[in-house]
This record gives sequence, structure tokens and C-alpha cells, in this order.
Amino acid sequence: MQVEFFGVLKEVVGSNQVTLDMSPPVAIAEILDRLTSDYPALKSHLPRVACAVGDEVKSRQDLLQADEVLVLLPPVSGG
Amino acid sequence: MDHIGADVIDIEQLLAETDSPDAGAFVVFGGTVRRHHDGKSVSAIEYSAYEPLAEKALAEVEAETLAQFDVISCVIRHRTGRLQVGELSVVVVVRAAHRGDAFAAGRYAIDTLKKTAPVWKRERYSDGSEVYLQGETLPGAGE
Repeated sequence: MQVEFFGVLKEVVGSNQVTLDMSPPVAIAEILDRLTSDYPALKSHLPRVACAVGDEVKSRQDLLQADEVLVLLPPVSGG
Repeated sequence: MDHIGADVIDIEQLLAETDSPDAGAFVVFGGTVRRHHDGKSVSAIEYSAYEPLAEKALAEVEAETLAQFDVISCVIRHRTGRLQVGELSVVVVVRAAHRGDAFAAGRYAIDTLKKTAPVWKRERYSDGSEVYLQGETLPGAGE
């Protein structure tokens, strides 16, 4: 499964994206659990992170399919 | 129409696009890079965005503004990339029959997009350090 990071999360993880060895379909919550295991510094950010696929914000109960990329969006500061 | 991208924002073009004989007022809000923040000297701001959702969010703010206020048009443009002090990062143009509606709608549009568009500022300071600014939690975050 592929995960992309934006904003400060790129610094927290040290990369724009990671690929996880998980079998789809998999719940977004499970992907976040794996990520916090691999990158413990992510944990404190997750309560304020939105999850998106394409142009849709997703619930953590939603399933990610094989051809989808999970995008993690921290609090925004545009304008 | 792209609402967000690296191109310089052309206010004159936006005024031409929204020109209407039914309008008695237009309001332009422009956001620019300020040279100070919390007592620190800012030399530039890098704007980044998750563009698929940012496009949708900005289009939704335009549509909501048109639905909620008595205005003729509302257009929003947001810029990405490294902007120097004084450069335009965001513009909202609203046209209405009357100024009260135009002011209120313009304020609503900029206040709302700052909460809903996935865009991030990374400030660069005169000492060379850089930091992502703390911001607004997106709707649906943490759920």
C-alpha cells in the first residue's frame, strides 16, 4: 500500500511517501497503526490528521483498495 | 479553471472575468507574504498543497459563497511555490449589486478557505531556519 505525506508530516516521516507491505483491501485505521509502529513520532499528530484518497476525505473505517493511494493531511495553514 | 498552482495571480484578469453590469461593487482580498511572524524576520514562504483536494475545496468555497450571499460572482486563486515578501499568495474577488454583500461574502470566502483547503505554509527566516506553521484541522480529521 502506498502512503503520501504532506506538510509537517514529510519531516516527521523523513519522506514524501512510503510503501507498506500490506494486503488490500485494508482499513485505513490498520494502515495508521502500521505507520505509527514504523514511525512512532507520527502518533501525536494523528488525532489532527485527515485521510484522503483522490479528492475525497475518508473515514478511518474505510478500506483502501490495491489501486488507491492514502494521503495524510496535517492541519492546514494556507491563505 | 485551476484554483491553485504556481502561476502568478493576475488580479486584472480576475476582474475582467467577473465583469458584470449588474454589479455595483467588487471587493478584492489579497493575501501577501509578510516579513515578520511572532517576532521573527521572515524572508520567504514556501506554499505547498495537496492539489486534488485543494481544487475541490476552493471550488466548494466559491459555490458556498454564491449560495449564502447575495453576490454575482466569487473567484478564488491560491498560489504555490516559494514566495518572497510582498508577493500575492491568495486572491478572492467578489462582485455584488451592493457593497455590504460583497464585503461579507469576501470575508466568508477567505476565512473558510483557510480552514478547508489543504495548503501549508513553510516559513523561512532570516537566520536560515524553516518551519511549517501550525494550522487549522481539516474537516473530517481524526475520524
